[in-house]
Amino acid sequence: MTFDELLNSIPDYAKDLKLNLGSAMEQSELTAEQAWGTAVACSMAARNPQLQAAMLAGASGKLSPQGLCGARAAAAVMGMNNVFYRFRHYASNDRYGAMPARLRMQAIRTHGADPADFELWCLAVSAINGCQVCVDAHDHAVREKGLSEETVLAAIRIAATIHGLAAVVGAEAASAAAA
Amino acid sequence: MLGVGQRFPAFSLQATVSLEKGKTFRTVTDQDYPDQWKVYFFWPKDFTFVCPTEIAAFGRLSEDFAERDAQVLGGSTDSEFVHLAWRQNHADLKDLPFPMLADIKRELCAALGILDPQEGVAQRATFVVDAHNLIRFVAVNDLSVGRNPQEVLRVLDALQTDELCPCNWHKGEETLQVRV
Repeated sequence: MTFDELLNSIPDYAKDLKLNLGSAMEQSELTAEQAWGTAVACSMAARNPQLQAAMLAGASGKLSPQGLCGARAAAAVMGMNNVFYRFRHYASNDRYGAMPARLRMQAIRTHGADPADFELWCLAVSAINGCQVCVDAHDHAVREKGLSEETVLAAIRIAATIHGLAAVVGAEAASAAAA
Repeated sequence: MLGVGQRFPAFSLQATVSLEKGKTFRTVTDQDYPDQWKVYFFWPKDFTFVCPTEIAAFGRLSEDFAERDAQVLGGSTDSEFVHLAWRQNHADLKDLPFPMLADIKRELCAALGILDPQEGVAQRATFVVDAHNLIRFVAVNDLSVGRNPQEVLRVLDALQTDELCPCNWHKGEETLQVRV
C-alpha cells in the first residue's frame, strides 16, 4: 500500500487522524528526512505491518539510506531500552540502577544517520512505548544536539497520529476479514 | 606481559591463510583490520595435541566473532610452512577461516611478554584488542590446558556492551561521553 492509498483507506470516524497525518508529514519544523524517519520508526513501534509498509513506501526518495537504517535502528534499540529502563524506573529498588544492563546497544553508535535525527527518532519511539525516563533523557539529548522544542513537538505529533492510525488500520483489516 | 590498556605491539608477519596454491601466504600487520576488534590467540607448537581442538573451535566461532566486528588471528613461533603442513595434515584445520601468524623471529611474542622461559615458545595466551589497538582482555593458560573460545566470545560481548543510551543518565550527571 502506498502512503496515499493508506490515507484514502482511512474511514470517516478517523478522519481527524487522516488529516493530522497528512499535515504532520508537511510540518515546516521538520526536514523531510526527520519527518519520514520519524514515520518509519513510529510505524515500527506501533506494530502494524500495513502501516509500516505504507510509511516505507512514502519514505522512498525522501529518507536517505542512512536515515532509513537509523530510523529502524532507533525503533529496534528503543523497543528494547524502553522496557529495560522503564523497569528500573518503575521498581522502587534503586539497586537495579547500579547493576550492569548487559544489553548490547552498539547500533546507537553505528547507525550511520545524523546524530540529532537519530535522537529525535528515539524520542518519538519512546513516547509511543511509554517510558518516562527515556522520553526525558532523549528530549534533553535532542535539544543539546541543537534541535528546537518546536521540532520535538512536531515529531511527537507524527508519533501520536501514527499510533492512533495503527489501531484504526488494524481494526479495519479485522472488519474486512470478518466480513 | 602486556596488560589491559596497553597498545598491542606493531608487527608484520607472514601468515598462512589458505591451502589454495598461490594464495597460501600473506603478510599480516597490526594495521590490517582497521575498525575491527581483534582476537589474537597463541599456542606453543604446531602438531601437538591440545592445540587443534582449540584452533578448530575458534574457527567454528569465527562467524560469531565476525558478527561482533572481531577478526580472529592465531599464531605460534612456527614458520608459515609448518602452519601449512599442519593444516594439510589435520582434517580439523583444513578449512580454517582465519590467518595463522608465523612469529618465527619471536619478536611479537617477546614484545607481548608471552614466551615461555623454559620452552622458548609462545604460551597459550589470548588477547582481545579493540579497534584502536588497545588490549582489553588478556588470559594465559599453562602449556597443557586448552582454552574455551566460547568464553572469549562472552568476554568480547561484555566488552562491547556499553550502556550508550541517554536513558541510562541519572539526574544531575554529566552528559554521557562516548569513549572514543
